[in-house]
Amino acid sequence: MIDATPTRAMRGGGDLAFYLWTALGLAIFPFLFRLPIFNGYNGLATQILIVGIAAIGFNLLLGYAGQLSYGHAAFFGLGAYAAGLSVLRFFPGAHSFGLAVIFGVFIATVAAFIIGSLVVRLYGIYFALLTVAFAQMVFFVVFQWRDLTKGDDGLQSIATPAINLGFAKFDLTQTLPSLALGPFGDLSEVRLWYIFAAIVMFGVLAFVRTLVRSQFGEVLDAIRENEERSIFVGFDPRRYKLAAFVISGALCGLAGALRALYDGSAAIATLTVDQSGAFVIYTVVGGVGTIFGPLVGTGVIMWLENIVSAKTGAWRLIEGVIFVLVIVFLPNGLIGTILKRKFNLFATLRGKK
Amino acid sequence: MTVQSLIQALLNGFILGLIYVAIAIGLTIIFGMLRLVNFAHGAFYAIGAYVGLVVAQKAGFGAGLIAGPIVVAIVAILLDRFLLRFFYDKEPTAQILLTFGLAVIAEETLRLIFGGTTQQYPLPDWLQGSVALAGLQYPAYRLYMAIAIVAIVICVWLFISRTNYGLIVRAGVRDRTMVQLLGGNVRAASTMIFAIGAGLAGLVGVAASPIYSIDPQTGFKFLIPSFVVVVIGGLGSFWGAVAGGLIVGELSALTTLIYPGAADVIIYVAMAAVLLVRPQGLFGESEVIKG
Repeated sequence: MIDATPTRAMRGGGDLAFYLWTALGLAIFPFLFRLPIFNGYNGLATQILIVGIAAIGFNLLLGYAGQLSYGHAAFFGLGAYAAGLSVLRFFPGAHSFGLAVIFGVFIATVAAFIIGSLVVRLYGIYFALLTVAFAQMVFFVVFQWRDLTKGDDGLQSIATPAINLGFAKFDLTQTLPSLALGPFGDLSEVRLWYIFAAIVMFGVLAFVRTLVRSQFGEVLDAIRENEERSIFVGFDPRRYKLAAFVISGALCGLAGALRALYDGSAAIATLTVDQSGAFVIYTVVGGVGTIFGPLVGTGVIMWLENIVSAKTGAWRLIEGVIFVLVIVFLPNGLIGTILKRKFNLFATLRGKK
Repeated sequence: MTVQSLIQALLNGFILGLIYVAIAIGLTIIFGMLRLVNFAHGAFYAIGAYVGLVVAQKAGFGAGLIAGPIVVAIVAILLDRFLLRFFYDKEPTAQILLTFGLAVIAEETLRLIFGGTTQQYPLPDWLQGSVALAGLQYPAYRLYMAIAIVAIVICVWLFISRTNYGLIVRAGVRDRTMVQLLGGNVRAASTMIFAIGAGLAGLVGVAASPIYSIDPQTGFKFLIPSFVVVVIGGLGSFWGAVAGGLIVGELSALTTLIYPGAADVIIYVAMAAVLLVRPQGLFGESEVIKG
């Protein structure tokens, strides 16, 4: 689709520039953590990309459809458990990476469709509170279903299947060939997991960017700005909001499935209100309603957590302070502030109904 | 299931329900007056509980009961004056984000000071013991607390419905601007309501902790069911919070008795059902749905 209106043009540069910068950024990213000032470790880059998918999904709903969900951990956690159970219980014979991911996304998508159909009838605080209620239901059902989910312990020792493309098999735990890169360390420190996560992230970014610039994205904008007017123009806001909700839940499910396969475990913590809150924090800190904001927010917060929690037990306190400071002083988030976007958190949430 | 276990469950549900009522009344009058959805309300409960614990260990449980709510009310007034007032004209969802952040800060500060472990509340001798009631021995303290909460709820209601301040509050809920034009000090009334609602949560934090014990996450544990309560009763409705609290308390207790596995889920099912069938809640006015 060709950029025709100012709103679309405002959302970033040309297509080629976007793809090139994204690919370049993803290629450099893991090596940054080798620099002393960043002081991270390699697996962190992979984890950030995986969790970032969920934040991007969450932002599709908050930033573009203007709906604040406090229950997206439900889809993240369901994705994780479904992928884990696919390997451990449901299809152990197949031992297929692709099947585990697809099953995780499928379960999350079905859940998002059911929950979404019910919540899109509500607005604002009621929407937020109802998503909390459904997420709590999912949490307690998974928690109580001990035969299947092991309750408090979560799923353990999920062996990551290799990716089988027919002509070649990739074991994601393997590393790249050795090649010295000076201050950036060595190429062999990067595992195939990172390459895979980067490819998925590239796809997700391209998909979400295309989506919000499409007619679908325009309608979401219109609904957020003025829902009544969008009805008069002939759109059914609930259908669009439901579609946004389902896509958003599916992306969280994808992130959850990958997280479980990466960690080799699925913890009950993936389903908690804290986890839902984490997606909110990542997205708001990075920049609501921007393509890269949620990923940047996820990266900054997870990186800080890694550094700070090694030194003190006060990490969550610092996270809370950062979050409140961003809301009060940088309502555009980090990305929004840098880009000097007029698009801010409060304007996004305001949308006249 | 014996008759006695049923009576026991009903009593437990009533006590738990009353605690929800007291927390939810704070939430609901704050929403009614300030249009503020306060995710930090659970933190008020927790702060009250910990302040009460410290004071109770030094000066006795009675002193803790007084200190808890006062400290929380002061915290609330400072928050209102220096931070929240900049958010009154913002969207409710922005307020949720802000107060959620504040709740995280409060919870983690408590964890840093007191550690993450569960703390037991010392109960003085004169509050211990049990009472023979309908054929079973019931802890006396729970009954004292129930009577106290009922008395407090009535006081708050009388304050809102019978005093001049309450008049400003009730009118402010309907039309803020008009009350200001007529010379009512809505700002002062708002701050006062916020302090009362918060203090109430702080008081319950002290009063309920001998029964339920405390840890830094206690605030969130009580906050979410309290939201269920106000949503079921109708956000902003006083008697809705009372009815909702008792419904949620009894529902939890009876489900625990009949089918414990569903005890945690049932209140969310109830909340979802109410929101979907009657979004304004049992006692709410329909105008509040949108917004």
